[in-house]
Amino acid sequence: MSRRPVLVGIGRTEYSRNSGRTTLAMAAEATRGALEDAGMDYRDVDGFSTFAANDSVFGAAVAHAIGIDQLHWNIDLFGGGNYATSVVSNAAMAIEAGACEAALAFRSLNGRSGHRFGRADGALSVGGDRQFTGPHGYLTPPQWLALWAQKHQDVYGSTCEDLGQIAITQRTHAGPNPHAVQRKQIDMQDYLAGRWINEPFRIYDCALEADGAVAVLVTTEERARDLRHKPIGILGHVEAMGHGGSFDHWPDYTTMYSSEAAPLLWERSGIGPDDVDLACMYDCFTYTVMVTMEDYGFCEKGQAGAYFSEGRATYGGEVVVNPHGGLISEGYIHGLNHTFEAVLQLRHQASDRQVEGAELALVTAGAGPVGGAMVLARAN
Amino acid sequence: MDVAVPPQPVPDLDTKGFWEATAAGHLAICRCKECRLWMQPPLERCRLCGEETGFERVSGDGTICSFTVIRHPAVPGYLEDLPYVVAMVELVEQKGLLLPSRLLDAEPGETRIGLPVALEITDLPGGDYRLPTFRIVAEAAVPEVSRD
Repeated sequence: MSRRPVLVGIGRTEYSRNSGRTTLAMAAEATRGALEDAGMDYRDVDGFSTFAANDSVFGAAVAHAIGIDQLHWNIDLFGGGNYATSVVSNAAMAIEAGACEAALAFRSLNGRSGHRFGRADGALSVGGDRQFTGPHGYLTPPQWLALWAQKHQDVYGSTCEDLGQIAITQRTHAGPNPHAVQRKQIDMQDYLAGRWINEPFRIYDCALEADGAVAVLVTTEERARDLRHKPIGILGHVEAMGHGGSFDHWPDYTTMYSSEAAPLLWERSGIGPDDVDLACMYDCFTYTVMVTMEDYGFCEKGQAGAYFSEGRATYGGEVVVNPHGGLISEGYIHGLNHTFEAVLQLRHQASDRQVEGAELALVTAGAGPVGGAMVLARAN
Repeated sequence: MDVAVPPQPVPDLDTKGFWEATAAGHLAICRCKECRLWMQPPLERCRLCGEETGFERVSGDGTICSFTVIRHPAVPGYLEDLPYVVAMVELVEQKGLLLPSRLLDAEPGETRIGLPVALEITDLPGGDYRLPTFRIVAEAAVPEVSRD
């Protein structure tokens, strides 16, 4: 019978600005939640995957904390949101290859109360590539991607209002999401009145740093037969690692890793942008949504602002982008909350924000030179 | 933690030539002795042909590839005295040869992509390092970027 990998369980903690808990405690809650959601016993799990950047707990420690004595497959990736789909797709590959029978992929971080990605507080001395940027005060993602967005405005004439349309649409989507950290509605006037972070980014262009954990349980289609929910399949997945992962030396700041990943993903999945019902687009910044919308072929270069303002990226349009509000409004659980949302939507369990008849979801991860993506499917 | 001091570079065996040059008052970039490719960041061996590299002095002329006006305090040494402008500077020696730089005395409203810039080595507060920084200059001062 089929070892085809499917997503059978999802779990998460509360998302907040100050969890008051360890990343281990939160990861244990989220992974237990995913098992309970699936109706699977922890003794049936023998694989673990996670990603972190010196800000979290190793997978083996979490496995131990929820009662698991032995793992047959375990990876701890060092990196950023570019691995948010990789932890799931790698688990899927491990299961398909027979390395393990069921795997929990998780991300746990105190992204607001602990280590904040928007700051470089501890950077007193910098080696590697950062020895050339840090001394100039250029050391954080909100600085790097702002510089990329500036280039896009110069080349394609995109505007701050275009970025604003993305922020406003996503905040509208967060409105009915009780799990979102920020649900206060904004209009263009509010957006433009938002304080500058680094031009052309205002506060509303940036991910909402948050504390919390998410977990996704993957197993075989065979094992999924007697579990609680309709399993969600993976139609295709992709990773792209460009130019040494450098945000400085990528040759064209108006495109991202997605220019490499998109054609591969569509080819592997056998579908195209017109086929997906919802798209959880990695949004550490509005700009990464803008560029991935272009690179994945939803719109032409420079047309993302219009795409959003015309209502094509929301309910009743062509594809619902970040129905949960995304990292910008639901919270920055480093992108694994995108997969949680996609599974919920494809199960048709998203209540007030359900995308009607959702069959296919695109989930993207990452920014700049590095990232990944998956196409998830309701039908198996 | 002294937040008044910017991050200090930690040179390694591959990059020390870069910092030795700035200490001597000029900018030198890693270059393949065989195929003549310029490389930044520096490498012990050429990333394309695998031959030996060395540091060669460059003109210090370039253009603004892109920039950002930094208004949010995030990096030690740059937590006050905001905003400041950081650019990726494309050096005239080779297309795509980029160096980051805080632009000296740059007015946010007057900084534009494509403007010519010129090198000015400055002291990095908090230690002995000297930093390759750039300043916007009048158009005519800079030759065309080589497209070879």
